[in-house]
Amino acid sequence: MPKGTIILCYRKVIDANSIKAWEKMVLEDTFLEFKMQAQFYNQEKKYNTFSEILRNDPKAEKLHFLVSAAVTGYLQQLNETIPDVLNNLGKHFLKFENFRFEIINSDIRDITKHQVAINFFSKPLTWHDTIDNYLLVSDKSQTEKDILTSLFQLQPYLSIYSLSYE
Amino acid sequence: MERKSFLKSLMIGAVSTPVLIEACKKSSAETTQTGSSSETVTNTGNSNTSCTVAPSETEGPFPTKAPASYVRNDIRDGRTGHTMTAKITIGNINNNCAGLAGAIVDIWHCDAEGSYSEYGGSGMQSINYQSVHFLRGRQVADANGLVTFTSIFPGWYSGRATHIHVHIYSASGTSLKVTQIAFPEGTGSAVANVNGYAKGMTGYTYNANDNIFSDGTTLEMATVTGSTTAGFVLSIKLNVAA
Repeated sequence: MPKGTIILCYRKVIDANSIKAWEKMVLEDTFLEFKMQAQFYNQEKKYNTFSEILRNDPKAEKLHFLVSAAVTGYLQQLNETIPDVLNNLGKHFLKFENFRFEIINSDIRDITKHQVAINFFSKPLTWHDTIDNYLLVSDKSQTEKDILTSLFQLQPYLSIYSLSYE
Repeated sequence: MERKSFLKSLMIGAVSTPVLIEACKKSSAETTQTGSSSETVTNTGNSNTSCTVAPSETEGPFPTKAPASYVRNDIRDGRTGHTMTAKITIGNINNNCAGLAGAIVDIWHCDAEGSYSEYGGSGMQSINYQSVHFLRGRQVADANGLVTFTSIFPGWYSGRATHIHVHIYSASGTSLKVTQIAFPEGTGSAVANVNGYAKGMTGYTYNANDNIFSDGTTLEMATVTGSTTAGFVLSIKLNVAA
């Protein structure tokens, strides 16, 4: 018996330690966009870090949304496939349409302090079973008798975002 | 005889196991998550006991530098409404108001129902990546200081007259001005013709009562021509100190 319908969330953190080309482009472009957009919340130029700006003006919470503009072009390049998360066959198996971008912290003087996260939300999956540390899931949209499944391991930064019993 | 074959089978076991361990070690290295400097992170979790697979797929197309999704002329993203072309010219006060070539111009406004694209707060609410920035856009001014956007005539929301937000930056990204564009009112105006879309105009705030425009709109008032059938054209010159 399936345990329910789930949506997975994968939180991809990108910062100075990221080495792949795609990640570095996202880091650079979001840093430039942050420097542009943060000016509105730092007009007296008193602050340098995102946490300072946010503490001084809670409306700077909008910066997560405003800086996300630098990221959607890169999201398009992923062809709706969630990066990094592999099934036990070593393949990317999760698709996304929804995301949420976060600025973890930043410093307008120093890109090495710039750290962002992209939360990827999978399309709905049927959760069939749990075997040791692995979940057995399938695309909810399937209607065939022999359901094609994926087996994947629970891992850091991957969580069940929502659960439905309908 | 039995003992020999038993020992042999032990050796076979002993040879094959290290290969497995090697493969596991490699795999966990390739799937390691990058750590962060400001938050405490448990990096690879239980990699000592578990064995994670290495990615083994044909390498995808290499990523290319993508302009901010803001940088586009057509900002509608599927929002319905009367087509409106916005022509905004940026002039430099420090140069006799000659066009400021290279200026970066962001605009944003609400849709026909009065809603903005934006998500707020620090929750984990998700949003579709293809429509997350509807009715927001960025263009770079040409040699004459002109930027053009294809959009829809804005709707309205309680407390504000019809308006378009504008943020003007220098070519290097320094913020120069944050302002709003006001719309002409009265009989025969586009605001009157559009009549607030499905909402109508009951409860509408006119420019004189608008807390941003009530002190005067001379410098922020656009010219709007056209019709609901043919579409509208909005023009305005905004001067900044660059």
